[in-house]
Amino acid sequence: MTDFTTAVDATGRADSAAPSGEDTGEQSHLQRGASSITLQGLHKRFGRDAVALDGVDLTIEAGEFFTLLGPSGCGKTTLLRILAGLEEADEGQLNIGGKDVIDVPPHHRSVNTVFQSYALFPHLSVRENLAFGLKMRGMPAAQREQKVAEIAQFIKLGDLVDRRIDQLSGGQRQRIALARALVCEPDVLLLDEPLSALDAGLRSQLQVELLRVQKRLGMTFVFVTHDQDEAMVMSDRIAVLNGGKIQQVGAPREVYERPSNAFVARFMGHDNLYRVTARNGNRLTTELGELEVEQDGGGDLVLIRPETLDLKPGHVEGVNHLHGRIAERLYRGSHAEFRLELAGTTLQAVVNNRGKHMPDVGDEVTVLVAPEDLVTLSE
Amino acid sequence: MNKRAMRRGLTTFWWLTVVFLYLPLAVVMLFSFNASNSAARMTGFSLRWYHQLLGNEQIMSAFANTLILAVISSVIALAIGCMIGYGMYRHRHRKLGWLIILIYLPIVLPDIVFGISEMAFFVQFHRLTGFLQPGLTTMIIAHVTFQIPFVALIVYSRFVGLDPTLFEAAKDLYASPVKRVVHFMLPTIKPALISAFFLSFTLSVDDFVISFFTSGPESATLPIYIWGAIKKGISPEINAIATLMIGAVALAAVFSLMFNRRRA
Amino acid sequence: MSNSHTTAMQSGQTLGRSQAMVREARHLLFTVTPGAAWIILFLVLPSVYLMAVAFMTNGPYGLPQMPLSLESFKQLAGFGFLGWSPGNIYTLLRSLWQTFLATALVVIVAYPIAYYISTCREKWRPLMLLAVVVPSWTNQVIRAFGWMNLLAPGTPLSSFAETLGLISPNMGLYPSNFAVTLGLAYNFLPFMVLPLYAAFEKLDTAQVEAAQDLYATPFKAFWHAVFPQTLPGLLAGVVLVAIPAFGMYVVPELLGGGKGMMLGNLVATQFSGGSNWPLGAAGAILMLIATFIGLFAMRRIGKRLGGGEEVVI
Repeated sequence: MTDFTTAVDATGRADSAAPSGEDTGEQSHLQRGASSITLQGLHKRFGRDAVALDGVDLTIEAGEFFTLLGPSGCGKTTLLRILAGLEEADEGQLNIGGKDVIDVPPHHRSVNTVFQSYALFPHLSVRENLAFGLKMRGMPAAQREQKVAEIAQFIKLGDLVDRRIDQLSGGQRQRIALARALVCEPDVLLLDEPLSALDAGLRSQLQVELLRVQKRLGMTFVFVTHDQDEAMVMSDRIAVLNGGKIQQVGAPREVYERPSNAFVARFMGHDNLYRVTARNGNRLTTELGELEVEQDGGGDLVLIRPETLDLKPGHVEGVNHLHGRIAERLYRGSHAEFRLELAGTTLQAVVNNRGKHMPDVGDEVTVLVAPEDLVTLSE
Repeated sequence: MNKRAMRRGLTTFWWLTVVFLYLPLAVVMLFSFNASNSAARMTGFSLRWYHQLLGNEQIMSAFANTLILAVISSVIALAIGCMIGYGMYRHRHRKLGWLIILIYLPIVLPDIVFGISEMAFFVQFHRLTGFLQPGLTTMIIAHVTFQIPFVALIVYSRFVGLDPTLFEAAKDLYASPVKRVVHFMLPTIKPALISAFFLSFTLSVDDFVISFFTSGPESATLPIYIWGAIKKGISPEINAIATLMIGAVALAAVFSLMFNRRRA
Repeated sequence: MSNSHTTAMQSGQTLGRSQAMVREARHLLFTVTPGAAWIILFLVLPSVYLMAVAFMTNGPYGLPQMPLSLESFKQLAGFGFLGWSPGNIYTLLRSLWQTFLATALVVIVAYPIAYYISTCREKWRPLMLLAVVVPSWTNQVIRAFGWMNLLAPGTPLSSFAETLGLISPNMGLYPSNFAVTLGLAYNFLPFMVLPLYAAFEKLDTAQVEAAQDLYATPFKAFWHAVFPQTLPGLLAGVVLVAIPAFGMYVVPELLGGGKGMMLGNLVATQFSGGSNWPLGAAGAILMLIATFIGLFAMRRIGKRLGGGEEVVI
C-alpha cells in the first residue's frame, strides 16, 4: 500500500507540472487505436433457458468512452466477452473497425481486456507480463522492451516494472493490467469492472486516471460497471442494460435526467415515480395532483427528480405547487434529504444547504416543481 | 495424574516413536560401514562394502535398470498424467465420475493384486502374440500405470488453484492455442510438473511388488536384487545399496516437496 | 434515445453452440484418452482377466484353462486332492488376526502421537509430521531388512527378550509372527497418524473445556468431548491401515518365515511358483472384496469428515 502512494505521488507531481487535459507534450508514441464498433441482433443463451443477450443492436463511436451499465445478470459482461471473442454469440453480427470479426478467435482480434481479477500471470515478472501480448504477436525483443518502457512511463509505473506480481497491491495490479492491455495498442480496450475490487478512495483516484489515459490516447474504451455513479463520471455515453436488452443509450446527462423507462429511472437512483391517471394538453393528473409539464413524451409515469425541487415554508398557491408535511429529514451537511408526506403518498426532496432556513420534521411546506424538470415515461 | 507429568510422558513417547521409526533405517546405514561381515556386531568403520558394489556387475546392472525404469516411466507418466490433469480441470463442470474412479483405481488396488494382474496379462499376451515379453518394457508399462494418477492429481490441483481468467487473458493477449501451452500453461504449472516428476521417480524406485511380478530374468532392479540377496542369505553389501537408496529417495522426495510448496 | 430494436439478423451464423460443444468434447477426448486408455488397457483389462482366471480350472504349469469351475474357491477353502486340509484356512485366519493386531498396535501408538503433534507449536508440526512420514519413503524391502537386522538372533533386542524369558535361547525375535505384526505396524503407522492428526487439529477446544467443567474426571471429559470428535479420523486410519495390511506380501514373506504366511503370500506363490493361477486369482478376489468394503466404509467416513483426506505418500 505504501509503495502505491509513492507511485501515485509521482503521478500527482507530473500532473501539477503539466495541467491535465492539455499535457499533450508528454504523450508517448503509442498508436491511438480508435475503431468504431457495430453490433447487430446479438443473441446469446446459456444452456436451455438462461438468456444473456436478447437482440442487442449498438453502435460505439471511435474514440468514445462507452459504458455498459446494468445490474448483475443483465448481460453486460456477456456482451463485453463477445466483443473480446471469449464468448461466441449464438446469432448476430459484430463489426470492429469496419471488419466483421464474429468468427475471429480472441487471439486474432485487435481487442484487449482489463479483467476484473486483473489476471496477471503469476509465473512472470511485471515486465514480462507487460511484454506478453507483444511477444505473442511476434514482436522482436528490442522493440518489445522499448514499448514496455514507453507504457511504463506513460502509466507512470516507476519501479513497479521490476517487481514480482505477488509484491503488488490491488491498485498496482490494476495499473499493470491496464498497461499490459494498452501496450498492445488495440483498436478497442475492454474493461470489465476494473475498479470494483478497490476501496472507495483508490477507486475514485483511478477513475480520474483512467479517464485521463483514455482522453490522451483517444482510444475506444468499452467499460462495464454496475455502479451508476462511476458510469456517469467516466462515460461519453452509457448503455443501460436489463434482461439482455438495451434499455437506453445516451450521454450521462440524458440517461440520468431523461430516463426512457422506469427501469432506467430506478437504476439511476430515482424513486419519485408517480402514476399519471389523466392528461389534458400539457396538464397531467397524477397521484400527487395536477402537474404541468413542458413536454409530454407520453407514458403513464411521471418522474420528479428530488434535487430539482424547491421547498417553501407554509402554504403557497400556484401552478405546480404541491402541499405536504415533512416526515423525515436527513441532514448531510452540504445538503439535506427530505421525505415528505403529501396526497397520501411520499415524495423525496434534496435541497442544497445554502445557509438559509431549513424546514424541520412536522413543518407544513409547499413544494415547487418546474415544468421543464418533469419527465414522463412508461413502465 | 497432573498435566505436566502427562506432557512429559507424551514427549518421551514421541521420542521413543521416532527411535522406533528410524532405528531400522539407522541400523542398515550403520552396518553398511561395518568392517566385518557380521550382521549383529559392529567391529569397525570401513567402506569395503561400497567398494564391493562397484565391482558387482549384477548390482550395477540392477542399478542401471532402476534408473532407466524410473526415468522413462516418470517421463511417460508426466506427459500422459499432465494431459489428464488438464482435461479434468478444463472439463471439471462435466460429470466425470467414471474418470475419477479410473484414476483412483491404481491407487486403491492392493499392490499384490495390481502386480499379479499385470503379470497374468503380460504372460498370456506374450503367449498369444509374441509381444511384450516380461522385462523392462512391461515394468515401464506397469510403473506408468501407477504413476499416472499421482501426476494427474498434482497437475489438476495446480490448475484448480489458478485464477480461471488467466486462461482468457492469455487468449486476449494474442496467444494462439500452441503458444498458450508453451508460454502460459507449462510455465505456470512448472513447479507442479517438477514435483510430480520427482514423486513419480520416488514411487518407481520405491516399488517392489509390482516390479517383481512384471520383471523378466534380465530386468532385475535394485529392490528385486536386494530381495533375492536377502532370500539367499544376508550379505553386508545389501546394507550399502540400501543406504544409497535411502539417501537417493530421501533427496528426490525432498525435491518433490520443495517444488510442491512453491506455489504462488 | 433508441429503445428500438431492429429485428435480429437471421444471418448464417451457424457457428454457435453446437459447434462449440463438439470442439469441447473433442478437447476432452484428446486430453483424457491417452491416460484413460492406458489405465483401462493395462490395469482394468488385466484385473478383469484375473477375475476370470479365478473361475477357470488349473492346467499345466499352473496356467488357467477351460472349463469354468468353482474349483479354485474350493481349494482356497482347503479342499484338495487329499481331502480337506486346514492350511489355507489357517493362512486366512492368520491374515485377519495379524491385520487386527497390527491395526490395534498402530492405533495405540498413533493416537497419542497425533494428539501430541497437534499440541506442539505450530511451526514444528509440519516437521514432526514429515518425521513420521519420511521412513515410509524408503523401499519396503529395505525397511523389512532393517527389522531383520534388528531382530535376528544375537542382536541386543533378541538377547534382551531372551533374558526376559520371552523367547527360547538362540531363537531370535525373527522369524516369527511377532516380527510380522511389528513390521506391519511399522509400515502403516503414518497412515494412521495423518488422519488422526487432521481430526485433532480440527478439535473444538471449547467443547473440551466445557466438558472439563461438566464432567468430574479427565477420562470422562476425554470420552465425551474428545474421542467422538476424533472418531472419524480414527476410522479412516483403520481403513487405511487394515486394507493394505490384509494384502501385505513383503513383510510376512521376509519377517514371518514359513509359519508366518498371509493371504498375500498364498496368492503370490500361486503365480511366482507357477503352480496354480486360478487359486491365486481366487485369493486376489478375496482381497478385492476387502478393498471395496474398505473404500465403501471410507466414503461413509469421508462424508462424516466433511472433506477428502489426502494421504501424503
